[in-house]
Amino acid sequence: MFEWLESTGVAIWVGESLWGYPLMLGCHAVGLAIAVGIFVMRDFRLLGMFDGISYESLDSVRALGWTGFLINAISGCFLFSSQATHFVTNTPFLLKISMIFLAAILSAIIQNKMRDDAVAWDGAGRPTGAVRGLAMVSISLWMGAIIAGRLTAYV
Amino acid sequence: MESFVIAVEESAINQWVLGSAWLWPIMEILHFIGLSLLLGSLLVIDLRMAGYFRQVNIAATHKLLPWTFLGFGINLVTGFLFLMGDPARYTANIGFWWKMFLVLVAGLNALWFWIKINPVMKTWEPHADTPALAKLIAWVSLGSWFGVLLLGRLIPYIGTG
Repeated sequence: MFEWLESTGVAIWVGESLWGYPLMLGCHAVGLAIAVGIFVMRDFRLLGMFDGISYESLDSVRALGWTGFLINAISGCFLFSSQATHFVTNTPFLLKISMIFLAAILSAIIQNKMRDDAVAWDGAGRPTGAVRGLAMVSISLWMGAIIAGRLTAYV
Repeated sequence: MESFVIAVEESAINQWVLGSAWLWPIMEILHFIGLSLLLGSLLVIDLRMAGYFRQVNIAATHKLLPWTFLGFGINLVTGFLFLMGDPARYTANIGFWWKMFLVLVAGLNALWFWIKINPVMKTWEPHADTPALAKLIAWVSLGSWFGVLLLGRLIPYIGTG
């Protein structure tokens, strides 16, 4: 199946055209900065930093974080297609994808809690301990994804 | 430039950077974490300064700035070490020079922000629209930093002259 994927026209365009690979890599860097940057800043706020920015207002930047995530899901699929058989056996890559998958689920859980309880957190001055714990796990997963992602080029 | 390359290649710092097989990937990881902190904090500050995300209290956005500086500091140090480790490759690369030019533009723009906006921003109406100058500085910031990001990522693919 992965051999077939590598032989498709799209995969060959990414892998062999002059601009296919750099274009997708450029998009992947932009999406990384937006998604990781925004989600981690949100998590920092949940941990109690940036006092004065209400928890309720964090919801407004959510769409921007997911836009970055979408850019990377799409560019990531293109990049994957060109070296599919290599990536499926690459341990750092599999770790990276697992961590991103978990981080995305966690992000959805955090924003659901935010939608229900942000006003209460603003009243109390900070989120519940469980939410702060989730924020720490979320930051760790994004950092882990960056570490594993960079190591795909070395291991 | 040739004498610079030779001097760096004979230096102790060059030997140190190239001395361990793991140092380079570790520096790359730090460079990626640094860019996420830099651009993540700037996206919130600059987009609010450009008039978006009005729910976010603009008078408190300056509290993200330590992360901007930390991200920049990490990338300044790791970036300098990349240059020390492989001076011939970077100095021959046009993408590298464009990137450095945009870092300079971003830096001057940040100075402009620091002098004209940062001292008064804390007194602004939390959820109001922003002045035209703030919007201009915000867009120059985002434009130059995302340019830096793209050029940096594409250095391995851009011509060497």
